[in-house]
Amino acid sequence: MATGVKKGPEDESGEFADFMADISHEIAKRVESLDPTPKSNPAQKKTTTPVPDAGVIREWDNVADRMIEEMG
Amino acid sequence: MSVVNYGTREITCKIVYYGPGRSGKTTNLQHVYSQLPEERKGKMVSLATETDRTLFFDFLPLDLGTISGFATRFQLYTVPGQVYYAATRKLVLQGVDGVVFVADSQSRQLAENIESLQDLHANLADEGLDPRTLPLVMQYNKRDLPPAEISTVQELDETLNFRAVPYFAANAINGGGVFETLRSIASMVLGRLSAPAAKGS
Repeated sequence: MATGVKKGPEDESGEFADFMADISHEIAKRVESLDPTPKSNPAQKKTTTPVPDAGVIREWDNVADRMIEEMG
Repeated sequence: MSVVNYGTREITCKIVYYGPGRSGKTTNLQHVYSQLPEERKGKMVSLATETDRTLFFDFLPLDLGTISGFATRFQLYTVPGQVYYAATRKLVLQGVDGVVFVADSQSRQLAENIESLQDLHANLADEGLDPRTLPLVMQYNKRDLPPAEISTVQELDETLNFRAVPYFAANAINGGGVFETLRSIASMVLGRLSAPAAKGS
């Protein structure tokens, strides 16, 4: 990709404007493709994985008992 | 590395102009600066010796304003070309996102161009950057000099551009090729923008 020396002083005033236009386009594309915001998808429904102990309420007298229970 | 920061809604990219002494790196930045609208002109920091050679580096913060909702800044740096400022060149390369290699088209400067390119690759490797993948653009400057004094673009490209990256003929002193070069490296850098690793980073 070679470019000759083609711009003269008469059109230099537009150089920065041209540059900005190109860069703005490039950034808009890039920002959109990288946007981490999750896109809402109405067709996709949430699924809930059933938990084996769901609904079972266990009680411990104190925290120490619970720790021993869970460690065991 | 350049990052699209969705937390602060900022994009910041660092571009370094590299090349042998007197190849026209500072002239590139001076032309960009001269073309900026008044409201966008920040302060160009340039530290030069009495003979106008860059002593440390030049720094031009290019505030492009808000684009697509993001405050966008390009930070343009040059390195001192002289061989004995190796430490400064390494320092300036830290965190670089893209490099413009400004080669001097004069035939008698060919060895200096090669030496500077090798120096660039060594310094990038020292910084843990892969010279084979970092965005790079070649600029063959001083095309306005008499043909007898300069190598052809093809000769320069065959000698220096073994990565076959985009290259541009330029006469930076008159502004020729300066923005074409900047546009190309900016586009390459933006193409590699990454999203932040974690929220708010």
